[in-house]
Amino acid sequence: MRVRFWGVRGSIAVPGPTTNRYGGNTSCVEIAADGIDPIIIDAGTGIRHLGKELAGSAFGSGRGTAHLLISHTHWDHIQGLPFFAPLYTRGNRLHVYARRRDTHLRAVFASQTESPYFPVPLDEMRADVTFHELGDSQKFTIGPAEVRCTRLNHPWIALAYRIQMGERSVVYASDTAPFRDILFEHEFIGQPPAPGAPLEPAKAAALAAMRRSLVELCRGADLLIYDTQFTAEEYRQKPHWGHSTPDDAIAIAREAEVGTLALYHHAPDRTDDEQDAILTHCRAALSGVPLGLVAAREGLELTLDASGARPTKGSG
Amino acid sequence: MKVRFWGVRGAIPAPGPETNRYGGNTSCVSVTGARGQLIILDMGTGVVGLGKQLMAGAMGRGQGRAAVLLSHAHWDHIQGFPFFPPVFVPGNQLEIYGHAHSTDMLEGILEGQMNPHFSPIYTLRNLGAAISFTAVAPGEVHDVDGIRVSAHPNPHGHTSALAFRLEEGGASLVYASDAGYPLDGPSRETLDLYAGADLLIHDATYTPADRATRLERGNSSHADASAAALAAGARHLVLFHYDQDYADDTVDDMTRACRADLDRAGGRDIALTAAAEGLEIEV
Repeated sequence: MRVRFWGVRGSIAVPGPTTNRYGGNTSCVEIAADGIDPIIIDAGTGIRHLGKELAGSAFGSGRGTAHLLISHTHWDHIQGLPFFAPLYTRGNRLHVYARRRDTHLRAVFASQTESPYFPVPLDEMRADVTFHELGDSQKFTIGPAEVRCTRLNHPWIALAYRIQMGERSVVYASDTAPFRDILFEHEFIGQPPAPGAPLEPAKAAALAAMRRSLVELCRGADLLIYDTQFTAEEYRQKPHWGHSTPDDAIAIAREAEVGTLALYHHAPDRTDDEQDAILTHCRAALSGVPLGLVAAREGLELTLDASGARPTKGSG
Repeated sequence: MKVRFWGVRGAIPAPGPETNRYGGNTSCVSVTGARGQLIILDMGTGVVGLGKQLMAGAMGRGQGRAAVLLSHAHWDHIQGFPFFPPVFVPGNQLEIYGHAHSTDMLEGILEGQMNPHFSPIYTLRNLGAAISFTAVAPGEVHDVDGIRVSAHPNPHGHTSALAFRLEEGGASLVYASDAGYPLDGPSRETLDLYAGADLLIHDATYTPADRATRLERGNSSHADASAAALAAGARHLVLFHYDQDYADDTVDDMTRACRADLDRAGGRDIALTAAAEGLEIEV
């Protein structure tokens, strides 16, 4: 199983020299294995480049099928979809999976490309697009891959996915806040609660259950890709934004005994040098701990096999 | 008027080393008038950088004020709005002028961008700044903080995009992004809007060869831009809104070709600049 990062950034794409090494495109990860259709997670601006590469294969002649798992529909996770070249070739098939909402999924996605926002409406794109609505905790298969999801702690709610093929497995958990002081349902949270205010017992229990489900989803995975947008200080200021820190990710990874953790969904303001420093700091803290650690960067491909996750492309 | 470019790209932001020199952010230009009045032309991702700079001044204290002129509402012209820091500071005032049949429709377009499916902001009402909306009709003239603003729609694929002319103290600049003229060129009314502009910021999304295969997209090539500048008697042409797949070297080539076109066609006196993030021009 191969995992390749096409966009690693959160919130908004950030072009410029200070993001050249990790990349400025928003969230998109590709999962590939011999003999299966590509599985893509999230459709931030990074999916544009994946689409160009796929256009060089069966997708270029309208014979491709891809599966797109959407964590949630915030802009940075869907804004690249209208620029995904395979959608414009008749015969291609795209299966889109996302959490069920009050509104039909097709309608949510169609409104992204309707007038006056985008010139080509979804219904005029030539590929055959099928939407699959998921519950908060569901199992399904994509060819030989078994997929499971569980909900995360994020405004409007996001899903984490585990993709299992035989012995190999990867979990994608973005976007999520840690599970200690705010529970996101559907409501808007403009300001964080006062520091130290106790959480209602029912909410505390729901958060604990959500965290347990996530740890179980991650249990023994070869690779865990986790939202680590914030530093500890940034989290203190914005606990209601729905993002975690590297320490939160490491705690989940260790508890679930995953093989390798990939820091992911980097803050738009994070320069390459700052991201290097975060990685160095985390590696030092993990000295002697049996957990591999990488920071996701555009172009990086990790191959998962019995010996773990090793970079096979773009480790530069 | 002082002009500064914050985003010069079309369609979608294009990060990567191949766009470092001209920049990969989508469309945003700021114009500062003689008294420091601020007009923002479009709010692509470039507006985030502008917003960060503004936060060091009155906007950071909730005492800032700016007008925003939106050419149209395709994503690359509004996608920076929810990430424009001054919009979260109570006390700031933002006057948004745009291309819609009514003020309610214009507000509805930006409200749709904040919809909870897509944005954690949920609704415009959660933004701290006071935001007002004005729908701009062709031919109307607005006095925006002492800057005279007029507009005319250009065809843009299945829709249209407003070109704006800004005038102050005898100086004039035109912002004409996303212009997909018919093959016989811009309309009389469009050329009237551009006439004699000291600075013409013009859509130059494509090379002429690429435009020929993408006519339905409704964007200009650099040849369309130079022809418009010549026909309107503009003094300085700025190429703008490059295709997301064009590396810096391609923009260099386009600029050289455009210079040669201008020289051949009797436009030696027309200055030519390729817009780049951070570029400032005094008009």
